[in-house]
Amino acid sequence: MRTKAKVSGSVVAGFPSPAEQYLEPPLDLNELLVKRPAATYFVRVQGDSMIGAGISDGDLLVVDRSLRPADGDVIIASVDGDFTVKTYRHDKDGVRLEPANPAYQVIRLRPGQELDYFGKVTACIHRFAGKR
Amino acid sequence: MIGLVDGNNFFVSCERVFNRHLVGRPVAVLSNNDGCCVARSNEFKALGIPMGTPYFQLKSREATGELSFCSSNYELYGDMSRRIISILRDEAVDVEPYSIDEAFIYPPTTAAENYPAYGRRLRAKILRWVGIPCGVGFAPTKTLAKIANHIGKKQPDGVFLMPEDPTEVLASLPVDEVWGVGRRLPPKLRAERILTAKHLRDAPDETIRSVGGVTLLRTAMELRGIPCCEDKDYDATPDSVSCSRSFGTPATTLDALEESVASFAAQAAAKLRRNGLLAAGGNIYAQIFASGGGGNFVARTVTFPTPTDATNEMLRAFRPEVAALFTPGLRYRKTGVVFFGLEKPGAPRQTDLFDTTAPTERSRLYKAVDALNARYGKGMVFSAAEGVGLRTWHMKRTKLSKRSTTRWDELMTVR
Repeated sequence: MRTKAKVSGSVVAGFPSPAEQYLEPPLDLNELLVKRPAATYFVRVQGDSMIGAGISDGDLLVVDRSLRPADGDVIIASVDGDFTVKTYRHDKDGVRLEPANPAYQVIRLRPGQELDYFGKVTACIHRFAGKR
Repeated sequence: MIGLVDGNNFFVSCERVFNRHLVGRPVAVLSNNDGCCVARSNEFKALGIPMGTPYFQLKSREATGELSFCSSNYELYGDMSRRIISILRDEAVDVEPYSIDEAFIYPPTTAAENYPAYGRRLRAKILRWVGIPCGVGFAPTKTLAKIANHIGKKQPDGVFLMPEDPTEVLASLPVDEVWGVGRRLPPKLRAERILTAKHLRDAPDETIRSVGGVTLLRTAMELRGIPCCEDKDYDATPDSVSCSRSFGTPATTLDALEESVASFAAQAAAKLRRNGLLAAGGNIYAQIFASGGGGNFVARTVTFPTPTDATNEMLRAFRPEVAALFTPGLRYRKTGVVFFGLEKPGAPRQTDLFDTTAPTERSRLYKAVDALNARYGKGMVFSAAEGVGLRTWHMKRTKLSKRSTTRWDELMTVR
């Protein structure tokens, strides 16, 4: 008859596993991409207005609402009620939203118009072989 | 000090985070089956359309573009609520969620220097991170915090700290607006000339007790600034857990009845498990459709062999009873399940000599079921009795927005 020995943290007999003291949790994409779950939203890209920035049709964007936009950030904002992803520009010429595709127009805020900011894009997830 | 944080017009505000066309417009969210208005935007309120107005009465004004409506998107509201609670947990010493859109908080000692500033910071953080505007009220007791919150919502900064002497505030508040007073008591209170919150606070204990018993006395004590609402009072073991809903279109078959009862039982059973409760039995009921509304109820009471939280055991007990409820040829408006005899496991009870299922085995099964449904979305794993075909009895939600935060295939799109 054979008996099974249960191996736990402190082993009574035999050699301790040399790997044991180095045990760590496995890598977790959430930990890498979602710093603040309460402020993080996922959105889906439609169209190619940001193709030059590496953002393609069907890509998944990770958006953090807690971050304030700075010049050069890729952001989500609503323009006339519709959501758009663009590069935020804020300089002496005022605020504008720039596409990364020459086929699209730069969006300039009218004087007195406030930017309807949703959040800052912190990552773009592009999947191969099928969008979903 | 206790704070109460609640989302302004919460359901409408949730919809507006993902649909900017609704901003600045009169919008209402409709109840189950698109019945009536259950949440209204300020613009909607300003038109004088009361809460509970049936949707069909307003349809023509929707057609002209004057009003906008959304079906209840509980998946979305639940997720937004979760986000707010998690922010509050980071910012407060303790948080007691009270309902989907409000929570009591215990501020850290550092907030004591300037509660309004702390409240403004909380409010700003929730608005930026989640997108929901909140009202915040601070006071020494929960009942007073509720009142402070109502006033806070009307302040430009959304925050109100109850003054050390709240007499003036209480004198201008009708007694029926005090938390816990309810609708039944005000006529009796009026007879005692208790018309305002101040009157209630200052009434003699014997009078209060004779009108509303010890519960009302507790409310009066709270108005006096003495905390009497025990922590998580309202979170104590509920008397019953239930789930019911009207059919989108009246049901005419036994199958439809069985499936809906099974599905509601499954939902209510999950609720039991979340609260760590077992039920001794359940009432199942159905309402017969009558043109012009109303309709008689038929019901059966089922007692389980032993108290349980396992869906399959409940369904086994319910099945023959649903058949007994059903009369061919009748149309049914609504079905529901109410569990009773709720208890915590391990409560003293007589066990069934013939109960052969090991409790650990079934609790493992439903732990797995609940985990899968939490991970992959409600209804991922369900009992076959709930029906696998077209669920014609499902809630009617014709104006449902996307479940943008809980479904991968319903994400908000950006161009």
